[in-house]
Amino acid sequence: MTTGNQAMLARVFSQVAENLAFMFVEPQEDEPLPAPAGPCVAAEMTFTGQFPGTLTLAVPMALCPVIAANVLGVEPDDELAMAQPYDALNELLNVTCGNLLTALAGEEPVFDLTIPAVRELDGKAWNALENDSETVGLVIEEHPVLLKLTL
Amino acid sequence: MAYNILIVDDSNIVRAVIKKTLDLAGISVNELYEAANGEEGLQQLKQHWVDLVFSDINMPVMSGVEMFNRMQEDEDLKGIPVVVVSTEGSKTRIDELLQHGIRAYIRKPFTPESLRDIVGGILGD
Repeated sequence: MTTGNQAMLARVFSQVAENLAFMFVEPQEDEPLPAPAGPCVAAEMTFTGQFPGTLTLAVPMALCPVIAANVLGVEPDDELAMAQPYDALNELLNVTCGNLLTALAGEEPVFDLTIPAVRELDGKAWNALENDSETVGLVIEEHPVLLKLTL
Repeated sequence: MAYNILIVDDSNIVRAVIKKTLDLAGISVNELYEAANGEEGLQQLKQHWVDLVFSDINMPVMSGVEMFNRMQEDEDLKGIPVVVVSTEGSKTRIDELLQHGIRAYIRKPFTPESLRDIVGGILGD
């Protein structure tokens, strides 16, 4: 993935996080990302069309109910936010993917997107993803966020 | 006037957001039904009178497009307006959906104002 695509991914994700979840993304220019507090998860989806690819969004588990609460406009300990902690993460990824593909390819090409799926990430897998040159590192509410577009 | 509305989306969070946005948009809802995929949506439509359907496209079991196509084959359901709510950004696909009879398309993330404009345009203010 080119540096331009990474910048676009960061920009699209930031806009979606702001508009969908009212969460503000802090870019980490030369600073290292904060270490994740506790276990982490990655939501992933693939797409086919003008070009195939995969989009991955990894966050600490602790951030998931916070995202859900923000999307719903409720407190993080709200029943619905707690009951479906990965639902909002999947939706954040899904909306980012749809908007990113339009930003990359324009409005004419048709892409087919898979349904996002969440898996747990151990420390080794998190570190490998963080150190991948194609990964974009961001911070939301003091939590690290990893995004990777594979084309 | 209050409307009966069906929301079809595999995400609980998205269904909750649409419900909340309908409220913020000032749209009067009489009964609100929910379904997690197109198949459940068809079941709801066969059991309840619905004025308007909001549906995602990409869902497990049965997609929103397949649900819409099944609705067109059913005399009782073919007249119910369907609004697609999706991340889809392809003008080609949106035009295709509109040509097939989908009444409107809302791209996520959306605002209460855009929802109100679309519902008002279909059902009247």
